[in-house]
Amino acid sequence: MTTSCASSTSVAPVEIGEPDVDDVVVTDKPWIVIVWNDPVNLMSYVVFVFQKLFGYSREKATRLMHQVHYEGKAAVSSGAREQAETDVARLHAHGLWATMEHPG
Amino acid sequence: MSRRFTRKGKTLIVSLSAPERELLSGWVPDQLRTVYESEDSENEAKRRLFPVAYLDPTEEEAEGEWQELVHPELRRTRLDALTRLTAALDAAEPGRRGAFLVELASDDVAALLGVLNDARLALGTVLEVSEDTDLADLDAGDAATQGHMIYVWLTHLEGELVDTLLDDMPE
Repeated sequence: MTTSCASSTSVAPVEIGEPDVDDVVVTDKPWIVIVWNDPVNLMSYVVFVFQKLFGYSREKATRLMHQVHYEGKAAVSSGAREQAETDVARLHAHGLWATMEHPG
Repeated sequence: MSRRFTRKGKTLIVSLSAPERELLSGWVPDQLRTVYESEDSENEAKRRLFPVAYLDPTEEEAEGEWQELVHPELRRTRLDALTRLTAALDAAEPGRRGAFLVELASDDVAALLGVLNDARLALGTVLEVSEDTDLADLDAGDAATQGHMIYVWLTHLEGELVDTLLDDMPE
């Protein structure tokens, strides 16, 4: 568990170059990371994980937790496929039931 | 701050009775190790702890590549947490009235939280705990409810730990 959040802190230096506009697909929609309700995870624990992994405020983390609990699921983050895969892995490492989907 | 958890500088101290310490350093890690190392694709607890990332069946290839990348590391991290927690529990000396005061550095705290949560998820899956499961009136003398008793105890312990950690976190 302790290494699961390392990816958020150990970011390798990135060389910024001129963007190659031909490669940029501006219409590409981001992937959405969904957390699903489950009968075991504690509500307080889910708030803790949202704050820890995403740096959300207590208020935002609590709002998302309530959405998961009462509506069955909530979109907790979004981004490129690789980022979404990383977020799903970190959520799984913390025992949350997360999947990712692309809105087509 | 709960009665069970107290802060001493950067160290978190948890007070456990002898049977509690024994459960956390014996039965609980033994059960979890079996789940983590299971190769049975039908093992429900394993599937709960190592779920899929993609629900879309057309992403089967991406799912396979993702699992190949993530699952070995996830298994290793979870096994390391068991080892770390067991070492911290073994190092504890008995205090007054037979209770053990276990000193936890921040990595040990993360290990304890991970083990408690995984144990609840695995046990909850095996016991088929749902939001309607009544865990209020369990008969301690009934062997059939022993799993549920452990589940309830794990829930209380984890709840107190999470409340303590949330107290330390910014609003």
